[in-house]
Amino acid sequence: MRRYEMIFILRPSLGEDEINNIVDYSKQIILDENGIIIDLNKWGMKKLAYPIKKEMQGYYVYCEYAGTPAAVSEIERKFRIDDAVLKYLTIKTAESITEEEAQLAIGETEARNAAAQEAAQAETDDDSDEDADDENSDATETEEDN
Amino acid sequence: MAGRPQKKLFSRKKVCRFCADKEVEINYKDVKTLRNFVSERGKIIPRRIVGTCATHQRQLCEAIKQARHIALLPYSGSSQG
Repeated sequence: MRRYEMIFILRPSLGEDEINNIVDYSKQIILDENGIIIDLNKWGMKKLAYPIKKEMQGYYVYCEYAGTPAAVSEIERKFRIDDAVLKYLTIKTAESITEEEAQLAIGETEARNAAAQEAAQAETDDDSDEDADDENSDATETEEDN
Repeated sequence: MAGRPQKKLFSRKKVCRFCADKEVEINYKDVKTLRNFVSERGKIIPRRIVGTCATHQRQLCEAIKQARHIALLPYSGSSQG
């Protein structure tokens, strides 16, 4: 198996269901070919650097997986047919990956996601008492300088 | 004006940013870093100006082109245009 990462851009006008539908069928293709999904991340709505099919915005989905070349060609064939997919990009990141390595990578992404979530939560906590924090940090800084 | 041409007026040793800081990785998803290596018009800045080493310039070039393909960076013009 090879390790791939894939990004595709969907039309911004799609509903939640349609987005999930596209994500699900691409997932299904990977799994049908005995692949393993390492990471699936919806980046959400982003501004495009240039218009694609007259759209200025797009819904980005990022997916990392271990799979076979057949799965890649099948997914890309589907994307080409599907009108809702504006653009896609698949990049091979490793020539070969074993099942164990893939499982390890899954663990890593989970750890990363958990850390990111914690950071986000800490940030929201900080925001609530931002003023108090700022004053405190200023005071400590001046002390250090002296 | 007459006189012998001065050799280098301002010569500053350029160092490859990716060799200097090993933590910075070249990745097409990292638009913030890549923005430093394209001009305002979206062109890739040549090596003789930014001073990256050949290996990293090659990787950078690849990454910028991938980022362009997936509309993270513009092919031409600013991000607005």
